[in-house]
Amino acid sequence: MKFFKRTDLVIIVAILAIAAGLYFVYLHSAQGKEVEAKIFYENKLVKVVSLSDGKDYDFSVKGHEDVVFHVYADGSIAFVKSDCPDKVCINAGKQRLSGQSAACLPNGLVLRIAPLEDNLSDPDVVI
Amino acid sequence: MSRTQRLVIVSLFFAVALIISVVENSLPPVPGTIPGVKFGFSNIAVMYVLFFVGKKEAYAVAVLKSVFVFSTRGVIAAFLSLSGGLLSITIMVLLLLIFRDRISYLILSICGAVFHNIGQLIAVSLVYSNFYLLYYFPVLLVAGVVAGVATATLLKIIMPVFKRFRFSNK
Repeated sequence: MKFFKRTDLVIIVAILAIAAGLYFVYLHSAQGKEVEAKIFYENKLVKVVSLSDGKDYDFSVKGHEDVVFHVYADGSIAFVKSDCPDKVCINAGKQRLSGQSAACLPNGLVLRIAPLEDNLSDPDVVI
Repeated sequence: MSRTQRLVIVSLFFAVALIISVVENSLPPVPGTIPGVKFGFSNIAVMYVLFFVGKKEAYAVAVLKSVFVFSTRGVIAAFLSLSGGLLSITIMVLLLLIFRDRISYLILSICGAVFHNIGQLIAVSLVYSNFYLLYYFPVLLVAGVVAGVATATLLKIIMPVFKRFRFSNK
């Protein structure tokens, strides 16, 4: 059995093409869907934010005033201020398509965009 | 390979799988991924058992690994680990049956890693609501290819050593 065959490249390219294709399908299907932002603290839902108000404002979650979120008028949301050392949450940038998420793990806060019609709350599980 | 040799090698690989799994879990989660879904580098050890020892032993290591995950990270993580592991081995066994020597280790590793992720994704979709699937699927496909290439590269380094110690009869 060989380690590598030249035809393997074709298969790899095909897999990557499928991945790219699916990503575009996702982008397409997620566009224009009504969404809301859900904020979790240690896997518990603590706040649901509407993103379709067309207003710009900052807010924080109770008890975590060092972390500031910003809702943009275009319907996106982002971490804008945090006391964590790495700022991964802020660097994640604006989120607005369902399925997207950003997290500030030092503070235990996770921001997740979910479709509005999705009434099934995430199960309260620790994985 | 004698029974004792077999037992020792499988145990060693199981130990390696656990170590990789622990190290992987102590790393900070990659932002934007599903909690619990791992790129599955510990699956590398399971793949080697399949390549060097046999099907039954590979399944055994995958199941034992899930038992370990169950005792350390809980039932859902164990369920994810088990579904990823079993699907991955089954696909690799099928590929080996169909293509025999015509398939390369690289493609086997990639398929193993990709289906490990797909197995976990199926498990996640049973636990969470279905919606996130489409978003994560491309990510996991690419992650699977990366992990597969890493596995095959490692294998290429390790194989000569194995041959020298007569661990492998291939």
